[in-house]
Amino acid sequence: MFLQQLVNGLIIGGIYAMIAVGYTMIYGVIQLINFAHGEIYMLGAFFAVTFISFLGLPFFAAFLLSMICCAICGMFLDVLAYRPLRESPRLAALITAIGMSIFLQNLAMIIWGSRQKPFPHGSVPAYFGQIAVTFGGVNLSWFHIFIFSFTLVMMLGLHLTIKKTRWGKAMRAVAQNQTMAALVGINVNRVITYTFALAGALGGAAGILVGAYYNSLYPTMGYVAGVKAFAAAVLGGIGSVPGAMVGGVILGVAEALGAGYLSSLYRDGISYAVMIIVIILIPAGLFGKLIKETKKSM
Amino acid sequence: MKKTKNFLIFGLVLCVAVIFGATSTVMAGDTIRIGVASPFTGDLASYGDNIKAGVNLKLAEINGAGGINGKKIELVWGDDLCAPKDAGTVGAKFAADKSIVAVIGHLCSSATLAAMPIYVRAGMPVISPTSTNPTIGDVGKGWFFRNCYTDDFQGKYLAKEVVPNLLKKKKVAIFYENNDYAIGLKDSFMAGAKESGIEVTGAEAYVAKTTDFTPQLTKLLTAKPEAIFLCGYHPEGALIAGQARKLGFNGPLFGADGIDNVDYIKIGGEATENTYCTVPFLAEASGPAGQAFAKNFKAATGRDVDWMSANAYDCLGILADVIAKTGADRKKIRDGLAAINSEANGYKGVTGMTYFNSKGDCAKPAFVKMVKDGKFVSAR
Amino acid sequence: MGRLRIQQLSRGGKIRIGLLILVLILPLFPFISDYALHIAILIFMYMILALGLNIVPGFNGLLDLGYVGFYGIGAYTSGLLTIHFGLSYWLIIPIAFLNGALWGVLLGAPTLRLTGDYFAIVTFGFSELVVLFLTNEIWLTRGPLGLPGIAPPSIDLSWLGGPKWEFAGEVPYYYLAILMVLVTVFVMYRIQDSRLGRAWFAIRDDEIAAVSCGINLLHYKVIAFAISAAFGAVAGSFFARWVTFLSPDMFKFWESFLVLCMIVLGGMGNIWGVMVGAVVLVSLSEILREILPLLGLPVEVRFLVFGLIMVIMMRFRPAGLMPIPAVAAKMKAGQVKRKPAVATAGSKK
Repeated sequence: MFLQQLVNGLIIGGIYAMIAVGYTMIYGVIQLINFAHGEIYMLGAFFAVTFISFLGLPFFAAFLLSMICCAICGMFLDVLAYRPLRESPRLAALITAIGMSIFLQNLAMIIWGSRQKPFPHGSVPAYFGQIAVTFGGVNLSWFHIFIFSFTLVMMLGLHLTIKKTRWGKAMRAVAQNQTMAALVGINVNRVITYTFALAGALGGAAGILVGAYYNSLYPTMGYVAGVKAFAAAVLGGIGSVPGAMVGGVILGVAEALGAGYLSSLYRDGISYAVMIIVIILIPAGLFGKLIKETKKSM
Repeated sequence: MKKTKNFLIFGLVLCVAVIFGATSTVMAGDTIRIGVASPFTGDLASYGDNIKAGVNLKLAEINGAGGINGKKIELVWGDDLCAPKDAGTVGAKFAADKSIVAVIGHLCSSATLAAMPIYVRAGMPVISPTSTNPTIGDVGKGWFFRNCYTDDFQGKYLAKEVVPNLLKKKKVAIFYENNDYAIGLKDSFMAGAKESGIEVTGAEAYVAKTTDFTPQLTKLLTAKPEAIFLCGYHPEGALIAGQARKLGFNGPLFGADGIDNVDYIKIGGEATENTYCTVPFLAEASGPAGQAFAKNFKAATGRDVDWMSANAYDCLGILADVIAKTGADRKKIRDGLAAINSEANGYKGVTGMTYFNSKGDCAKPAFVKMVKDGKFVSAR
Repeated sequence: MGRLRIQQLSRGGKIRIGLLILVLILPLFPFISDYALHIAILIFMYMILALGLNIVPGFNGLLDLGYVGFYGIGAYTSGLLTIHFGLSYWLIIPIAFLNGALWGVLLGAPTLRLTGDYFAIVTFGFSELVVLFLTNEIWLTRGPLGLPGIAPPSIDLSWLGGPKWEFAGEVPYYYLAILMVLVTVFVMYRIQDSRLGRAWFAIRDDEIAAVSCGINLLHYKVIAFAISAAFGAVAGSFFARWVTFLSPDMFKFWESFLVLCMIVLGGMGNIWGVMVGAVVLVSLSEILREILPLLGLPVEVRFLVFGLIMVIMMRFRPAGLMPIPAVAAKMKAGQVKRKPAVATAGSKK
């Protein structure tokens, strides 16, 4: 049972990590908790289903297209909602973020209806359901393997992008000091918007994976997932990308083991409790640097 | 600045005026007005839609036959979103409208519980087609009736009848949703299981709208149950079925009326095979009146009949019967409903014989359905 | 204080007194139904909630996303004390007030030293934990089964040889709610003009300047949070005795959002504006309930509208429809905010 719970936790933890990375990147560059990020995750799942059922696309094509759409959504979110508020106090941006989250959630409800939807029958490749490996009495399907490897590749790719590429360097520069970054010729607004795009694509991918794996999507799915991913980001140290990855996995495993061995009723509470305890005791998280109150704060 | 203020105050007065105005227009006329309260929008709108379909069918029949003593029935819809706060508002609205003589609803037990004190205060008879929570009868103080069995009955029936005699299993794991309906059901099932000698190997809870049930299922399955009790509603039930099969469970699943929905099979797919559920209405098992109702329902709505619609259909039937005898007056309707207290003077509808005890509860037969080859069929 | 300001105040005062009289005699009109009174009571209750929440974002500039947690604590305090001990409502109000304040201090003291964002998210987590607690601790709260049969308040004068009135119908609740709103408004105005209020405004306008004036940030923020929580709990205690039924579903995040929306719309920090926000949003919500089905639109549009209101207000009128100068200057001017904010703060004294 322990092994099985560990696998359960790793799967969900990997997904939390993918969402958490989005929170943490955005917080890193503009110190904003993007509450609408959970909604991008939800949109990812719905886009994929729409592409499959209306355009008849195969799973992987829909997957890719949906990620691109989510990236665009992320950019729109930044340009329309957050960019006009760059100079405003953080309170204004936070309230906007919550407003966007509620707006997108209900927009999705109007477009797709509030009922729970399955992934279209037969759209997910059939071999995904087959068992790939068995060890210690635990069956691993190809879908498990796909989720593990996809998360791993994404995280590695992201890490390399931030560390090695020109764009990654620009992003880190903006995170450190926007004014200085602008002075050395970095287009700050563009870097921020691209960060939103990247976060959106990853969040969307997580949404599709969850939707397909559990075979269920509904407009409010982003709410709980978003909060938990945020807790993961806080645990890892908000603003730190490797921290978000580790935080996501830890939280996922803690949740599965907690539900299995302690109380399943407080399963969702585990994330909230972890979040509050970490914020009170080690606000810098496991990997983060404590971000001091900046001038912009209100 | 000043302009804005004046504008604001004007807007405010307008807002308030609209609300007050909306209620002061009491429509008098030669109709009998009955309120119907259910969630017609929001998460549970599909259930409200069932109620609407059932009541509308009966309405067309009654009014088509000339109404009650020459008076047509008019229905007033109240959308309570299945939320206690909104249910209170809808209740206040119905209670304040003196032309409304009775209420059919609410759908959710929590909504009924929240609105009931208002109805009691205003002296409004209420008949619910679906609120199964056993405690409502105490809060209703004689003004509440229901045309459905309570959760107590369903759970006991599953434990004493379905599991030992139909499934022929001895060890059962319970997976229940953390809400009023499922907890009531779980508790009565456990009580019944003790009497009929069924071993409950474990009970785990989940929260509505969860998608990942594997941690709890993994835990439940380590005790090697022979059957799993899906104690909750169909959207989660379908996912649980899928995930239980993935974890290697092949035994039968069973649940109560919350599982009975075509979406259960649509979402869950093949994993839902071999699922049993109890329902208050089953067209195949009901008499000729029920068969005819099922046929009319299909013709009117284009979908298969469900138990909620059937109960709602009978609710309006009972009210119409009582109003025909006593006249359209709240107090008299209450007394009329309370007088239906034994099988001899019960109301015979499509869901069987209905008569109320002193708490407004009624005894209803239960039927068992099962999923076979991607369809719900009678299990007997 | 300038002359203009006094004139404005007296003019506003006239309108206010006029409105108050109108509100007081409202139930006497024959065309007022119980439904209208029900909505009016709902509005008053949200006014108390909004006034209470206003202290944190409006007076202190901190975002509180978990206000509904205290509302829930107050409601269940009231409900449980009534059911198990039959306590009088007049005793329950101070108990709920203190209980709310206690939780406010417990949560605020360790977290208010952090930056605003962290605080916002901690409050959010707290309110979710409150809901989980209310749902899962069935032995205490009956969990999702709900808490039915809470007795209505009564005025017992039998110890004076007088009669005992039990509240029935909406009218007594209506007057009780008005009384509670008036007391709340009075307290808010008194706080606003006190040393405490000035310290809060200093913190809101410029924390660094406030510290250098010798204001203990944590101390004042915790007091603010506790008072805000206490008023939330008082509103909850009223709600419990009015609806006479509680269930944990009533205290979801959505309620926090709604109250926040009210103060953002009305004008953060403006007592009068916040009350207007409550009136507008509660009525809007009822009007949309009637109108949307007629237009064939789903009810979700209602929530969509609320979300949009937040975004649009922040974009175009971040200080609300009835802004107060200090907040307006701060929310709009962004980086160069310091000068006008200090100027208005100075002119206020």
